[in-house]
Amino acid sequence: MKRIGVFVCHCGINIAGTVDVARVAAEAAKMPGVVFAMDYIYMCSEPGQSLVREKIKEEKLDAVIVAACSPTLHESTFRTASVEAGLNAWQCEIANIREQCSWVHSDMEKATEKAIKIVGTMVRKSMLNESLEPIPVSITRKALVIGGGIAGIQAALDIADSGNKVILVERESSIGGHMAQLSETFPTLDCSQCILTPKMVAAGKHPNITLMTYSEVEEVKGYVGNFTVWIRKKARSVDWSICNGCGDCMAKCPAKVPAEFDRGLSTRGAIFVPFPQAVPNKPVIDRDNCIYYKSGKCRLCEKVCEPKAIDFEQEDEIIEVEVGAIVTATGYDTLPILDLQEYGADTVPDVIDGLAFERLLSASGPTTGEVRRPSDGKVPKEVVFVQCAGSRDPERYKPYCSKICCMYTTKHALLYKHRVHDGQPYIFYIDIRTGGKGYEEFYHKAEVEEGVVYLRGKVARIFRDGDKTVVWGTDTLTGRNVEIRADLVVLATAITPKEDSRDLAKKLRIQSGPNGFLSEAHPKLRPVESVNSGFFLAGCAQGPRDIPETVAQASAAACKVISLFSKEMMEQDPAIAWVDEDLCGACRICISVCPYDAREFDEEKNVVVVNAALCEGCGSCVAACACGATQQHNLSDTQIEVMVSAALEAFDV
Amino acid sequence: MAKVAYYPGCALKERSSHLDRSARDAALGLGFELDELETWTCCGAVPPVSSERVMNLIAPSRILKDVRDSGRKELITICDFCYNTLKRANYSIRNDEVIRKRVNAFLADDDPERTYLESDDAPWVDYDGEVKVLHLLEYLRDIIGFENLPAGLKNPLKGINIAPYYGCVMLRPEKEIKLDNPENPTIIDEFTRALGAGVVSFPYRTECCGSYLSVSSPDASTRLCYRILSSARANGADALVVSCPLCFYNLDSRQEAIAEAYPDFRPMPIFYFTQLLSLALGNGPEKQGFDMHCVDVSPILEKLDTPEAAEVGE
Amino acid sequence: MSQSKGVSPPKNPPLELNREMVRGEFGLRVDELSGQKLYDCYQCGNCSSGCPLAQEMDILPSAMIRFAQLGQKDILLNSGTIWICASCFQCTVRCPKGIDIEAVMDTLRQLALEAGVDHFGPDEISPELAAEVPQPGLVGVYRKLST
Repeated sequence: MKRIGVFVCHCGINIAGTVDVARVAAEAAKMPGVVFAMDYIYMCSEPGQSLVREKIKEEKLDAVIVAACSPTLHESTFRTASVEAGLNAWQCEIANIREQCSWVHSDMEKATEKAIKIVGTMVRKSMLNESLEPIPVSITRKALVIGGGIAGIQAALDIADSGNKVILVERESSIGGHMAQLSETFPTLDCSQCILTPKMVAAGKHPNITLMTYSEVEEVKGYVGNFTVWIRKKARSVDWSICNGCGDCMAKCPAKVPAEFDRGLSTRGAIFVPFPQAVPNKPVIDRDNCIYYKSGKCRLCEKVCEPKAIDFEQEDEIIEVEVGAIVTATGYDTLPILDLQEYGADTVPDVIDGLAFERLLSASGPTTGEVRRPSDGKVPKEVVFVQCAGSRDPERYKPYCSKICCMYTTKHALLYKHRVHDGQPYIFYIDIRTGGKGYEEFYHKAEVEEGVVYLRGKVARIFRDGDKTVVWGTDTLTGRNVEIRADLVVLATAITPKEDSRDLAKKLRIQSGPNGFLSEAHPKLRPVESVNSGFFLAGCAQGPRDIPETVAQASAAACKVISLFSKEMMEQDPAIAWVDEDLCGACRICISVCPYDAREFDEEKNVVVVNAALCEGCGSCVAACACGATQQHNLSDTQIEVMVSAALEAFDV
Repeated sequence: MAKVAYYPGCALKERSSHLDRSARDAALGLGFELDELETWTCCGAVPPVSSERVMNLIAPSRILKDVRDSGRKELITICDFCYNTLKRANYSIRNDEVIRKRVNAFLADDDPERTYLESDDAPWVDYDGEVKVLHLLEYLRDIIGFENLPAGLKNPLKGINIAPYYGCVMLRPEKEIKLDNPENPTIIDEFTRALGAGVVSFPYRTECCGSYLSVSSPDASTRLCYRILSSARANGADALVVSCPLCFYNLDSRQEAIAEAYPDFRPMPIFYFTQLLSLALGNGPEKQGFDMHCVDVSPILEKLDTPEAAEVGE
Repeated sequence: MSQSKGVSPPKNPPLELNREMVRGEFGLRVDELSGQKLYDCYQCGNCSSGCPLAQEMDILPSAMIRFAQLGQKDILLNSGTIWICASCFQCTVRCPKGIDIEAVMDTLRQLALEAGVDHFGPDEISPELAAEVPQPGLVGVYRKLST
């Protein structure tokens, strides 16, 4: 007969205030199988745990039940204590008499009866518990980072530096992301490219990083530690192993396409490198806009290419890789001006968004850093910046705050003033949010020293009048409406996840939230992991944030990956489903109900088998199995029956 | 000939009768008849604001119920205020259970008094919002199709540039009306283009003309109309086209006051969209009630026979 | 000796707030009648920015909502704003929080009229004007601005 010990916790007055814990212990002592029972004020404390260890040895206990708070809090605490005293961890159980009893009742008499019943059910369960061993799962020590912006680059570098291998996949032909488009970064006004390119180069050169640009993830199968990923290496029409990056092809290409990197403010050829500091600095051919692919003519690039690297017949390649962890760092997009009906819906040429203004400010941009407006190239003297263009607008656009716009708009106004000394920047805002380090001081500098005029009021309308762009706003602080006839208007458009972010989430089978951003496992305490094991998150793919936060998060995600890889094996909780192969009738109903894809049909044996690494012990299969062939370790149908009987017994008395 | 149920509204019967007349002529020219309801009351012109004010929904609901009881599914109206009121009454009835019950309870109470309609002998059926309220422009766009207009025009309106002015209540509140995009509407623009005229877009085309303030605070309305008209002129318009009788009244009859207050102001003729349609279909100017206008429209009528003007826009 | 006229009240006295006033009867009645959640307003000012009649108003629309949030019945019902609002719905279609501001304005008018503040009487319109204004104008004026 098993020797069970019961420890009833007071939890101060949390439990003892409503439940007569001494009586619970006394009644427990009478239950068959229980050889020892006591109550104590704080079981989770060091003395409490010592008690558990002592009594296991003294009373030669085979199993322990701690009647206390929810197992999510201290099950592992007491299991550790039990293991230290020589017990198997799975012989230690929690009877929840706090969240499920003392915290939800007020009648002491009845609450105590209920607590006794709860303990009774756990005692009966414990009698049938088996000692279990954690299941070892192997790990492929290679990481996949999806997205080559600053978040992906940082995560890849950190993982690679730890000695583990990384595959960095990026859909554009160069890594760098949006940070490469920025002119200067707040609040230090560091040149964005200058601080980014060393990291880009390092990522391109790192012996542990395999850079796959102009590539996308096609399919993912598997589970934590054991993923198989198919990556589509898109046809770039250039053999990068031969290409020496001389640029002759780009100089000659007759096609003119609005350059995405410059937000349409300049043009590029069909064969192009997005920006001069690209890593890898090799061109791709945009087949949708290439004259040869559209009409069969031209092929000028081929003619001028000395190393003969042009390959019009090149096809997409699918590459299969095995990885153990995946970091999703796909970054952000912005709300298109086209959607903002009252701001001209992209029909007014001198209404641009923040990223376009960055290009105007940028020394390598379409106007070599001179602020000139798109319509006629004149230097604008009256520039209006409109914040919250599409953010904080639950009724019509995005309900959330895009976080970075207050800072980057202040930066824009400041930089504009530096370049156009007799120009006047105006910022229309609802609130100024400057929570980061040095941010408030930066804002103070802009308003006080640089003469940026801040007007508190949301702009209702922007339209063209002659060669001016009229802005209708208000200044709620004076209670007067404001009209400005501006030369240039810059909209701080809402930050959104990438358009196909939800599709990617589906492909990876990870959760995304109502606004399309990827979901973290816990918003406070687990910010860089997905709920789905093996997936980690970094950067704006998860929500709007600035560069310091992104970099910190990327390193944190890398740390989680490294921690995963640092173990010999992963340990999977053994209290999971198993199949009695003699009983299995091969109906396969259980496979269809499993939410974790943890079951497979073994054709040879003609039975269903459980993939232990994936099973989360939810019990759906046990419920669905018509013949009881599948059971859960330490939660069998029999155990549930005896627990139910124990709970109902008191009624007969 | 197809007949469609038609609710003219109070204004169109007398003060804005040229809108009504030209509409009927135009409809006939397009092959359907505006069949005025046998009996009707004022719709109330402005819908009630809260669910406490259910009484104000009775008038429009009664009108709609009568249409339904007469066996018809659609009701055309031309006056923007009537359109707004009727459509919003429908919205409240369709979407608010409590309002629907209360309105029908009042209507049912009311019903025994009404013995003059054939349909009053029929068994009572609650009005659930079954009737579709259509603005005449909506009917032209969705049922006839603007693209089908040019073929039937005897006198396309070439040679003039017209600025469509939308006003307020035809488009807003958007959630309940859903006729067109209130920030960038195109319905009157497309209509005017289909008639062959050059279409002018200008920034004040959806800004209020003052509405009823013309009565209580006329100066405010004068100021607003000045902005609208001078903006249209600055963007190349020869005339404005409107659909609302109150907008017409404000924009047309306030021009004398505007000219007094603003010396740089040049008068601009205002047309109803139905007048333009009727003209284009071949009905003569004498049938359009131009004598009821304050601002002389003859300069425009003269221009109509000159070579095609290019379309100018914002 | 000149007669003492008494001391006139200050031009801009502070709002004396207490819990009855800010979440009190007046605010609840406005909420109830208008069907709008006044406290959803975060004072962005979009309604004011786009209001065509703002140039005629003593208190801008967003400030009106603010006063309503703070329960300032007297200020609201004695304002000129509610009578110069043209009910054009421009504010309503643009509010980021989906507040029907026109409904709030109408409610304030209704409350003012209930309190006997008659803005526009039937004798204030000339017979000529009354004969020529299209009905929506007349009906609109009398339903919104008169008891």
